[in-house]
Amino acid sequence: MAKVKINDTEIEVPNGTNMIEAAKLAGEEIPHYCYHPHLSIAGNCRMCLVETTTPRGPVLEIACNMQARDGLAIRTDTAQVLHMRKSVMEFLLVNHPLDCPICDQSGECRLQDYYMEHGQYDSRGLDPKVGKNKRQDIGDLIVLDAERCVQCSRCERFGDEVTGTGELRLMNRGDHTEIGMFPGDRLSHNYQGNLADICPVGALTNKDFRFQRRVWYLKETASVCTGCATGCNIQVCHQEGEVFRYLPRRNDQVNKSWMCDMGRLSYQEIAGLKRILKASVDGKAVEPDVATGEIATRIRAAGAAGVGFVLGTRATNEANWALLQMVRANVPGARIFVVEGNDGGQAAQGDTLLLSGDRNPNTAGARLLARHDGNVGDRLALLAALPELKLLVVLEDDVLGRLGAALPPVVFFGAFKNATAQAAAIVVPTAHPVEQDGSYINRQDRVQRVRRAVNPVGESAPAYVVVDRLGARLGKAPGTQMVAAAFNGMARAVERMRGLEFKGLGAEGRLLAPEAVTAVPGAEAST
Amino acid sequence: MALPAPRKKLSTPESVYLVEVIKGMFLTMSHVIKNILDQDRFRTIEYPDMRKPMAARYRGAHRLTTRPDGKVKCVACMCCPTICPAKCITIIAGEAADDPAEKFPIEFDIDMLRCIFCGFCVEACPKDAIRMDTKIYEINAYTRQDMVHNKSYMINLMDGLKPEAEDVYRAHPEQAPAGYTFDEKPVA
Repeated sequence: MAKVKINDTEIEVPNGTNMIEAAKLAGEEIPHYCYHPHLSIAGNCRMCLVETTTPRGPVLEIACNMQARDGLAIRTDTAQVLHMRKSVMEFLLVNHPLDCPICDQSGECRLQDYYMEHGQYDSRGLDPKVGKNKRQDIGDLIVLDAERCVQCSRCERFGDEVTGTGELRLMNRGDHTEIGMFPGDRLSHNYQGNLADICPVGALTNKDFRFQRRVWYLKETASVCTGCATGCNIQVCHQEGEVFRYLPRRNDQVNKSWMCDMGRLSYQEIAGLKRILKASVDGKAVEPDVATGEIATRIRAAGAAGVGFVLGTRATNEANWALLQMVRANVPGARIFVVEGNDGGQAAQGDTLLLSGDRNPNTAGARLLARHDGNVGDRLALLAALPELKLLVVLEDDVLGRLGAALPPVVFFGAFKNATAQAAAIVVPTAHPVEQDGSYINRQDRVQRVRRAVNPVGESAPAYVVVDRLGARLGKAPGTQMVAAAFNGMARAVERMRGLEFKGLGAEGRLLAPEAVTAVPGAEAST
Repeated sequence: MALPAPRKKLSTPESVYLVEVIKGMFLTMSHVIKNILDQDRFRTIEYPDMRKPMAARYRGAHRLTTRPDGKVKCVACMCCPTICPAKCITIIAGEAADDPAEKFPIEFDIDMLRCIFCGFCVEACPKDAIRMDTKIYEINAYTRQDMVHNKSYMINLMDGLKPEAEDVYRAHPEQAPAGYTFDEKPVA
């Protein structure tokens, strides 16, 4: 540990901590463009200059390339530092086009923020500004405006260090320096959206979000991406019940600061055509209550031996727990299954960065509850049991596609019209992950929370509420309508979840307790 | 409990009602004669045919300004709906394919029933795209929907009103806005 002094605050940080991060811990914001916690140090924007004391007197140094060591003292508030920031701002803005009115970055632009904080000078420019190419289409998701660039080289380093594709390069010299790509080259990887996120100005902007909304209108809700088993932490940006974009949220243990484009664009399906809006019985739209009553009737008719239940690898832990409790209380003897695999039955490709080949957000959670119950069958058990089943109750998953075998009449609780939903006799709509509170367990066995950002569409309700209503019809509701109570009840019962609290999951989630040694290790290797 | 107002003690000529009536008639007649002799003293204007000259800073109905090529100046930066305290401005932005301005308003609606004519939108506009210098104060319609002024209405606002207003301005040049130019048509 090293004791460092930032202005008048003394704090202890690990040796070698970056001084921008150390200052942040001390409550002091050091302005910067090129520094990024998950990229290498470039030190070319000069915005983070701070004053240190040396034997030859006070000297300005860049904080991003300064590592904490015992006795290091910096000042961020001297006249020299403030003058330097102002001068750097003036220099960076010499050729800036000032097209904030049409720039999507306005509102979250470092140039705007730091000009108001540290700039506020009168222009001394006499020569015409150097013009560069605007509105360059360089990828499926990215628009480049070379004029707005401040040459921080974050995007270049991202291409070199994170994706390893290295398309973007700084070219030319002096004030003609611009970011660009080789002729004929085009961004084609699955992580383009991050370029728009890390660009501190409006040079790289997201084509999907282009001119959609001004960012200052958007409200942000911390949540988790449900596109695959990685569970990248995200901010859901929404206004008046409509979601406009997902942004990655920093979590050094899961996704650092990144997320893939597939997950980023998955917000489109929230209000997409594939959502189930109405409950239906045998193809006829009915009230959800009527459908629930009909389900109860058919479960009773099928009897405990004739009905099977399938936990969802796409459902929240609370929904799976609710179903488990509901079945054990009301239909004792009924069989429960978990069918792993991807919807549609196709194997999906993962990558080494974030994307997992398992496209279900909660495979680990469903597996955990199955093991806790001890009497849950897998895919083969379901295939063997199919002839005896007269009714199959499915939570979220596309069991039909995953099994590839004809199913008995199906009751489907889910948000999306997949193959199983289309073949189902009774369908009850459930909420999308951004429309409900709940928790998922990712491939590292990390329990992470989703939070309700917008209201559920149509007649949908969170799955744990829907299952609770069904339990009430069958005789005994599992009492899972309150999500925190459902989670805490589950955490008390399930051994590996002991000690977890819904409120205590925090922004970064909590790891499950390690598996008991006797258990068979079946979890996917975490990266 | 209400107190009785103290009454003024009337003098003898005042208490004789007829004297005061005659004094009032004299005052009225003196104004009639003065007005007939000097018609510029008229306090009343014949409203639909004549207009009061509005102050240069008067905030009337909004108009959208255009560039020399006829396209609207607005780039849908959303500054005006952001500052608007009545939340009466709705803009839907779109991308202009061949225009260096890149962004333009597909729709630009102002709900005049909600507008409080504070002029903040004009202050906030970085492009001088919205102005309230029309001096139009007769904003009316038969339906609520018609009270929502849309983009084309606000672009053409002055054009539609020019001939009608111009007759008034020809008759009373002092009422025309500063810098108002008449068409080359000779006065009949």
